[in-house]
Amino acid sequence: MPDTHALVSDFLNKLKKRKIEGSKATAKLTAELLRSVISQQRLPNTNQAGALIHAIKAIGDQLTAANPVEVAVGNIVRRVLHIIREEDVSLTTASIGGLSLQGLSDDDDDDDNPLVSAAAAAAAARTTLRPPSLQTLLEDIPPHSAAASAAAAALHHSSSSAGDSEDKTKSTDKNSRSRKLKHNVIEAVNELIQDIATCHELIAEQAVEHIHHNEVILTLGSSGTVIEFLCAAKEKKRSFRVFVAEGAPRYQGHTLAKELVARGLQTTVITDSAVFAMISRVNMVIVGAHAVMANGGVIAPVGLNMVALAAQRHAVPFVVLAGIHKLCPLYPHNPEVLLNELKSPSELLDFGEMSDCMDFGTGTGSPLLHVVNPAFDYVPPKLVSLFITDTGGHNPSYMYRLIADYYSADDLVLQQRPTS
Amino acid sequence: MKTGKVNNVQKKDNASVAATSEKRVVDHKDKDRKKDVPHPRMQFDDATRVEKAKKRAIVKQTEVRNRVELFRHLPQYEHGTKLPHLEYKFFHLNSNSVHPAVYKVGLRYLAGDISGGNARCIAMLQAFQESIMEYSAPPEKALNRDLTAKINSYVSFLIECRPLSISMGNAIKFVKTRIANLPVTLSESEAKANLLSEINNFINEKIILADKVIVRHAVTKVRDGDVLLTYGSSSAVEMIFLHAHELGKHFRVVIVDSRPKLEGRLLLRRLVGRGISCTYVHINATSYIMHEVTRVFLGASSVLANGTVYSRVGTACVAMVANACGVPVIVCCEAYKFHERVQLDSICCNELGDPDAISKVRGRDEVNHLKDIADNENLQLLNLTYDVTPSDYVSMIITDYGMIPPTSVPVIVREFRKEQIWSS
Repeated sequence: MPDTHALVSDFLNKLKKRKIEGSKATAKLTAELLRSVISQQRLPNTNQAGALIHAIKAIGDQLTAANPVEVAVGNIVRRVLHIIREEDVSLTTASIGGLSLQGLSDDDDDDDNPLVSAAAAAAAARTTLRPPSLQTLLEDIPPHSAAASAAAAALHHSSSSAGDSEDKTKSTDKNSRSRKLKHNVIEAVNELIQDIATCHELIAEQAVEHIHHNEVILTLGSSGTVIEFLCAAKEKKRSFRVFVAEGAPRYQGHTLAKELVARGLQTTVITDSAVFAMISRVNMVIVGAHAVMANGGVIAPVGLNMVALAAQRHAVPFVVLAGIHKLCPLYPHNPEVLLNELKSPSELLDFGEMSDCMDFGTGTGSPLLHVVNPAFDYVPPKLVSLFITDTGGHNPSYMYRLIADYYSADDLVLQQRPTS
Repeated sequence: MKTGKVNNVQKKDNASVAATSEKRVVDHKDKDRKKDVPHPRMQFDDATRVEKAKKRAIVKQTEVRNRVELFRHLPQYEHGTKLPHLEYKFFHLNSNSVHPAVYKVGLRYLAGDISGGNARCIAMLQAFQESIMEYSAPPEKALNRDLTAKINSYVSFLIECRPLSISMGNAIKFVKTRIANLPVTLSESEAKANLLSEINNFINEKIILADKVIVRHAVTKVRDGDVLLTYGSSSAVEMIFLHAHELGKHFRVVIVDSRPKLEGRLLLRRLVGRGISCTYVHINATSYIMHEVTRVFLGASSVLANGTVYSRVGTACVAMVANACGVPVIVCCEAYKFHERVQLDSICCNELGDPDAISKVRGRDEVNHLKDIADNENLQLLNLTYDVTPSDYVSMIITDYGMIPPTSVPVIVREFRKEQIWSS
């Protein structure tokens, strides 16, 4: 336990001080942290999944509070919670499946066990409302045994005394079940970390479908995904040019241009103000994102809303590359303010540069000069033509559907409810 | 008459008889001149024309290594190479070719000291005034023809320092029309006095008084509690803000600035010095700040006949974001800057600046990634100076003729041109 405390507070510190750059790095570190927390978590004999979920939620709450703008943290926490729930369901199904060989053979026939029938009916009603999740589809669980597993789960939760549920599960299964749950969850989290690390390759594979010969591509700022995407197209011998807008005041466009030139692509660096002027000669705009929200809106580096508007005006496709770990199940309310960070004004104006012309002796004494340096921009979904993720290309109006595949509805709010 | 033959303005280069360093002949016959003269708007991707122009040039310029393909029709020279040549030519040659006042103005353009349509135009006209004062016609030549030839030579020199702005082009046309219309009965001193007073009138009426009229119209559009946004540094907009502040209106200003010129800082300094509270942002943050803004005031280098606004690069972006947020865009432009040319995008006609200004970021060494690879053949740097804002983004244009919609600009151009031809 002390180990995890130290790890968690160390990570919290880094998040608060904004020491971690980029959502991919943050996601990876969060996943690794949660993996260590899970592996060191001691589980009670009953309701292991609940205990795990409770522990992860508590940590997740702290993490998201440390850096609310970095939604990747919350995404990963919710992914892990979803994994735990899914693994729990599949394990319970397996054990119920073992039971059903003896007792509950066919739910369509008369139920032998009257205790299960009422609960099964209620659970069946509930499962029809719950959409099929990726896990259940992959494991090909037939619906009636899904109902049975839901029934078993319902029984586990509803019966106050642990005695009944204890009778259902074989006592010898207990220890192996808890070990199995942890083991499965950690395996799945490892897969998640692997996915985060390889999302660039999967996205870059789709480059050839979108970039043809003699194309002109515009981008702003810098993104690892975009570099890999463009280079993959170059590998396949597509000849195209890239206009890179420099993305002041961080000037990440310069780093991108340097990288692209080193790899042999024809690059032209333009200022951000020239975007409208040049976009009439551009075939496609390809950018990376900081986060993708549930409505299909994009939290992107500052300046991309302008580019998206210009692209819409000139009917140029605006393509956003995002790994699935960037998909956030929350809806953006007032994103310019709530999901934005204001960085240091010294990047725009040096401290003391205007000090000689400001006279505080007169006037109301209120500050005459504000310098605003936001870090992010919100691009509404209607301006985005296409999302390219590691699972393929999607319309912005489809992004909400992917949420059901990766997140559970119970996890949207990470704050703990007061004990009911 | 010369009016019919007056060349059009924007790329008015080397139509002159500017002497090379060897020859001192300052006069050609009309027919010869016609053969030598390249097309008014010379396109720099035509190699033969470029060769001819280079032969006639006073100043040698080296072309930039990595030209942007899309802009091959525009000149792109390396900066910093012109100054030593210019100094050499001035001090070592017979400065018959260029008057010192004009030379001084040209150098100031080159260095970037004078910028902005009005400032450049006034500086050029004052330099012309000085040169006309000291001018004396050679005995056997007609005053107006010789003077026109001299003015042409000055203009081609100024073009070599920095391509003409549209305001300057219109002013030059005005001066040449006046010279051509001088009655032959006047003596030389009377003719010169006439010209000087005409140029003074032009500056006073079309620029200074026009600005006052624009400010008077525009302050009616500033209400208490407004948040006004402007881009870059425009002399007309600055005057509007200062006047409104003097009238006691309560408003605050948002200044949007962009690289590489960072002209907004100068405006910021002047406004804050006068006590107007300001917010300073970079152009990337325009969509962030636009939600607070009530009005947008923009300046223009020119307004073209199809209603598009030709102004500093980045104006189109600001106007577009304002349009998307439903904020009215008001353009303030004196009527003498209007032009009958039309333009659809920013590529056909533009000015390319110093590419090194893009790769070097002043004051921030940690982001200078490009300075080592600027010579790489795969890398091009594009520094546009102007861009074109479509007319549907502009709500209203305030000129000295009043407040007009962008579609009325060709009407004003027509009336303005008539006035120029028929007056005096």
